[in-house]
Amino acid sequence: MRQSSSRKGKIFWSILAVTGLAAGLMCGCGRREASGDGVVNLRWVTYGTSVPADLKEVIEAANAYSAREIGVTVDLEIQPSEMLNLIMASGEYYDMVFTCEWLNSYDTNAAKGLYYDITDLVKEETPALYDTIGDYWEAAELDGHLYGVPTLKDMGSEMMFRLNADYFEGEKGMEIPERMAFGEIEPYLAAYKEDFPYKYPLAMDKAGIPGFTNFLERVISTIIYIPYEGEGSPRAIPLWESEELMKRYRLLHQWYEAGYIAPDASAVESTTSDKTIPVRFGVAWRGYQGYSNPADWGFQVKTSIYDGPYLSRATEQGAMLAICAACSEERARAALRYIELLNTDRTFRDILAYGIEGKHFDYLENDTVLRTETGISRYMVPLYPMGSVVNSSVESVSRDFLADPEQWKKVYEGYEEYAIRSRTKGFVYDKTRKEDIIAAITAIYNNYATDLRTGTSDPDVVIPKMRQEMETAGLAELMEDIQQQLDEYLDTNRD
Amino acid sequence: MRKSSFSRSRRRENRQLRLMALPAVIWFGLFCYLPLFGIFFAFKEFTPVPGRSLLENLFIHSPWVGLRNFSYLFRNPQSLAILGNTLFYNVIFLVAGIVIPVFLAVILSEIHQKKFTGLVQMALVLPYFLSWVIVGYCVYGFLATDQGQINSILRFLGREGIQWYQSPQYWRLILILVGIWKSCGYSLVIYLCSITAIDRTLYESASLDGATFWQKVRFITLPMLRPTIATIFILSIGSLLSSDFGLFYQVPMDSGALQEITQTMDVYVYKALMQQANFSFSSAAAFLQSAVGCVLLIVSNVIIRKVDPASALL
Repeated sequence: MRQSSSRKGKIFWSILAVTGLAAGLMCGCGRREASGDGVVNLRWVTYGTSVPADLKEVIEAANAYSAREIGVTVDLEIQPSEMLNLIMASGEYYDMVFTCEWLNSYDTNAAKGLYYDITDLVKEETPALYDTIGDYWEAAELDGHLYGVPTLKDMGSEMMFRLNADYFEGEKGMEIPERMAFGEIEPYLAAYKEDFPYKYPLAMDKAGIPGFTNFLERVISTIIYIPYEGEGSPRAIPLWESEELMKRYRLLHQWYEAGYIAPDASAVESTTSDKTIPVRFGVAWRGYQGYSNPADWGFQVKTSIYDGPYLSRATEQGAMLAICAACSEERARAALRYIELLNTDRTFRDILAYGIEGKHFDYLENDTVLRTETGISRYMVPLYPMGSVVNSSVESVSRDFLADPEQWKKVYEGYEEYAIRSRTKGFVYDKTRKEDIIAAITAIYNNYATDLRTGTSDPDVVIPKMRQEMETAGLAELMEDIQQQLDEYLDTNRD
Repeated sequence: MRKSSFSRSRRRENRQLRLMALPAVIWFGLFCYLPLFGIFFAFKEFTPVPGRSLLENLFIHSPWVGLRNFSYLFRNPQSLAILGNTLFYNVIFLVAGIVIPVFLAVILSEIHQKKFTGLVQMALVLPYFLSWVIVGYCVYGFLATDQGQINSILRFLGREGIQWYQSPQYWRLILILVGIWKSCGYSLVIYLCSITAIDRTLYESASLDGATFWQKVRFITLPMLRPTIATIFILSIGSLLSSDFGLFYQVPMDSGALQEITQTMDVYVYKALMQQANFSFSSAAAFLQSAVGCVLLIVSNVIIRKVDPASALL
């Protein structure tokens, strides 16, 4: 009798404990309502790999400004990619979040209904924001609705070589043109190798050349592409069907064999510590000066563009801000007002971009910005995760080396003039049905990718092998599904 | 009457023991049993709804998909090779992870210079505390093509350097050596403790009977170590499908030329999912590993109980 009652007691207590824990998990989300004075405080989660030391101080200054102007303040959290994914997956509450093509996928999450539909709200609440973004709203359009605000920055990627001008132009008397084809870098590499047979002239690490495949539009990571140019209607192709890409892989392998690339490049994490390397790569925009400060390198750097600018949905989705679908309308309006301020008020935008004037940065005579020592060590953040890049002041690298304050205007005019635009009109492939094939193919690709992109392996040997494995894993089924979705999309969106 | 007072004192004694066990029980409850609901991830297509709790999202908003989350594991034509690699290395580590530390422990226990044995022990245990990233770079220091130690020696001897990270034929051995080097110190300590606990008089009487060193090892040390060996064996067989990600990913520096040798299940899952944060897929892989491990653990325990009841765990 006693025994049975004690067992009942045990069961009772264990059930209580379990429900208690479950209840704790269930109500994991609390949300903060507006404070008494009518100011709305938003939780803004953005992407970043490190938190600057003076973030709190800068946010306080920004909050004082935005509370006065629009009655909105923020709690800004800078999170690495895994945390960002976890916050989204666990359904944690936030108001504004960083989203894009390459992380915390805008298209996937918007299709799942995770983001607030701002189609009508943005025109009604923040017409100035609506006008500022202009044509680039197309990057956020999904089935005729808008679920996020594209961040205005460099919208199409331009890929360039960064060369040691003192050596190539000064010592060797070679000319560095403003543009060259990818393969035309070879004589520069050969010249350096001849002078320094024990050094490797091409900066190469396991990540490969940044933006190396940007001349193709990505559908599935860097495995399946749609070419920007071509006859007939756009077709999705696996990487080996791009002649140009194969040509580049072969070139890289030749360069590897010739000793222009370090033999262990596929195992090297980074080459930044070796400042003598004369040929590096960059992805930036016309007029960008961040690569050219002689104080950083010990020599004059000249850039030469080899690709771009290419504009597609993916490149235009380089950075965006979205509002949580669970937000109340009041909070969504507040978030939009905040994004509008980031896009229209330069003084405000510069606070988040560069810190506090006089402490972290100074304005120079031509209205560009120069970071102070304190700014460089205590508030160095990239611009794109925190809102409009175009609306922040242009940064000069030193007082003697002033940047062009009208830089962005020229970059955007450049897009109108030379940009190569995608023919897919904002097509998004819905991966959900074939996700298992994509995972299997990604794993196969990753087995070969590092060696291919560093030139270590011979593409004519490795790619047929990779292709066969991918075909066994169901590539044909995936390609068919992509093409079908693409054709259907282009049919309904004919203009 | 007597019986009840006995049981009462027994119960009091148990209460103290229970109290002592309480922290461990709470720890296991919170970190091993409570997260078990995560198994459901493997069978559902996880679709989070913002502002809702994890449990609600998992149980209410996510549809059941049966075994679909497992299919990516078997789509790869190399699936069998990957499974083969996983089992190959684990069986070797299972055997070598017992033989080598036991051998070292027996030898160390026979050396009576305390300072020397202490030094050796420390040197053997130290690698266990190094992170794989650091070990990876140490190995790279030896094997780098143009400035590595080994290639410098080869060149000094007039031979040509080897591109180690492009030469798969050496890597089974390299991985096994590095894996054992890093882990053997830890089990060595466990075996050394068990050996110290063996009654010394057994050895003394054996010596009086004229037993040689190897006879003592064979008839006293090894039989007395049997329960410890059985425990470690049963515990490690449970992770037969899991592999040390650091060893197979960091140490070969993710070199593509080596992947046929270095790809184990954990590495495959990482490579398949690093670009998509798919919790359901990764749970499916983890579930498969744990399920197979659990079955193997129970089977091996049953076999050990048949052979030697005293050494079995459950």
